[in-house]
Amino acid sequence: MIEFRNVSKTYSNGTHALDGVNLTVDKGEFVFIVGASGAGKSTFLKLIMHEETPTSGAIIVNDMHLEKLKRRKVPYLRRTMGIVFQDFRLIGKMTVYDNVAFAMRCIGKKGKTIKKRVPYILDLVGLKDKAHNKPSELSGGEQQRVSLARALVNNPAMIIADEPTGNIDPEMSYEIIELLSEINKRGTTVLVVTHEHELVESFNKRVVRIEGGKVVSDSKDNDTMVAI
Amino acid sequence: MSFSSLGYLIKEGFKNIWSNRMMSLASVGVLISCLILTGSAVMLTVNVSTIVASVGDSNVTTVYLEDELSELEAVYVGKSIEKVDNVTDATFYPKDEAILAYKDVLGEEVFVNMSGDDNPLPHAYHVVMADLSLYDQTVEQLLKVDGVNSVSSRSDVAEKLTSLNTLVTMMSFWIILALAIISLFIISNTIRMTMFSHRFEISIMKSVGATNAFVRTPFVIEGVIIGLVSAGLSIGALTLLYDAVVKAVQSILPFECVPFTDVMWGIIISFVAAGVIVGALGSWLSIRKYLKKEGNEILGW
Repeated sequence: MIEFRNVSKTYSNGTHALDGVNLTVDKGEFVFIVGASGAGKSTFLKLIMHEETPTSGAIIVNDMHLEKLKRRKVPYLRRTMGIVFQDFRLIGKMTVYDNVAFAMRCIGKKGKTIKKRVPYILDLVGLKDKAHNKPSELSGGEQQRVSLARALVNNPAMIIADEPTGNIDPEMSYEIIELLSEINKRGTTVLVVTHEHELVESFNKRVVRIEGGKVVSDSKDNDTMVAI
Repeated sequence: MSFSSLGYLIKEGFKNIWSNRMMSLASVGVLISCLILTGSAVMLTVNVSTIVASVGDSNVTTVYLEDELSELEAVYVGKSIEKVDNVTDATFYPKDEAILAYKDVLGEEVFVNMSGDDNPLPHAYHVVMADLSLYDQTVEQLLKVDGVNSVSSRSDVAEKLTSLNTLVTMMSFWIILALAIISLFIISNTIRMTMFSHRFEISIMKSVGATNAFVRTPFVIEGVIIGLVSAGLSIGALTLLYDAVVKAVQSILPFECVPFTDVMWGIIISFVAAGVIVGALGSWLSIRKYLKKEGNEILGW
């Protein structure tokens, strides 16, 4: 699903963001990526989404070799993953329904398919009744669920959530991770980047810790929870 | 790209124009000005060329033959003159006729002993050329014909009109080129503004896996619509403007203007083509830079 082989990334301004990272995430796994800000988590995600290319090493995501992926193939890589952002990234002038439908229109899905699929996904995240509301009329937790619905609607093999609970209150945060966990049980690989310790501790999942551009611990390797 | 997407994208293109209507209006205005100026330049060129051509028809060059040639020999020389390239017509002008013309002007007395064999004038031909701009080469050819002595110099008016025609054509070309570049710049700037106000949507589109073609299409459609609307309006404006100018000119100078309908289709086709090409190219150029960006770069974060 995701494989990093000795991946390093140095930005043009000289910042060494990642340094010899080796990591494998299998299909169907739920992984927390933790670390302080500036540790390299964002770069790690950007490399998976192919917003950046590695300086050295090999990256394989959903059977695609990213270090030699052609530009015009990038959209097809992104269709295999759903992305949830910390700031939700919802389009303010569109309704909840349209925000979710937008993701389907963008990849050329037919209107009929969209009409069937969007209500189903909104139901899944518990927002059926808010379909015709604008994002500004929703709470933070609800907005993040819309963002999640949009990430899920194209049925990706993998969900990547970048600090999904960063902008919502703790109670709602727990619900969001629960929801992700639920989605994971249906077979979707889930990757959650976060720095909220308590949240990670309350779920018994694999935890990968990045520090100074290196993977410093992985709960899968030593089979114990990493001390955070 | 599927058919259902295309319908959606065309709708988005129209929405873009509406949401950015002030800039769209401004670029339609600039495009119309450019197209009307271009059209005026074309109409001026067409009219000057027509005038030059009609002067060419009435312009007669006189070719003088050798003195000693008899009338019969002169007719044979005439056959050779007709064969010269660019010569459309050669009319024999016998020396008897020429002397009579002089007598009319200067009076009988001067030419009293100059009729018949004593006539000092040579036989001549009145030659009409198809293209006056080839005057010099044609004269060179005429002088090579056996029996031709000299060729009268052409009228100054024709010469000036021909050089005016060249000047007008050259100027029109540069004006049209400059206006095309300006239009391209204006359109791409307008589209860039629409794109800037849509950068958030663009970043989401890219993150959910929209192809570059999909992201680009609404903006290209926006550019094409601006181009088409401008073309339509400027064709109408040019028709009215040309009618008014022709009426004004004809009230001062009685000359035949080319009717607008003669060139209408050419103008319509080239205006529409120019609108579509400038619109599409302008948006293409401005979105290229955006499509190379990724994630937060698009948002400028």
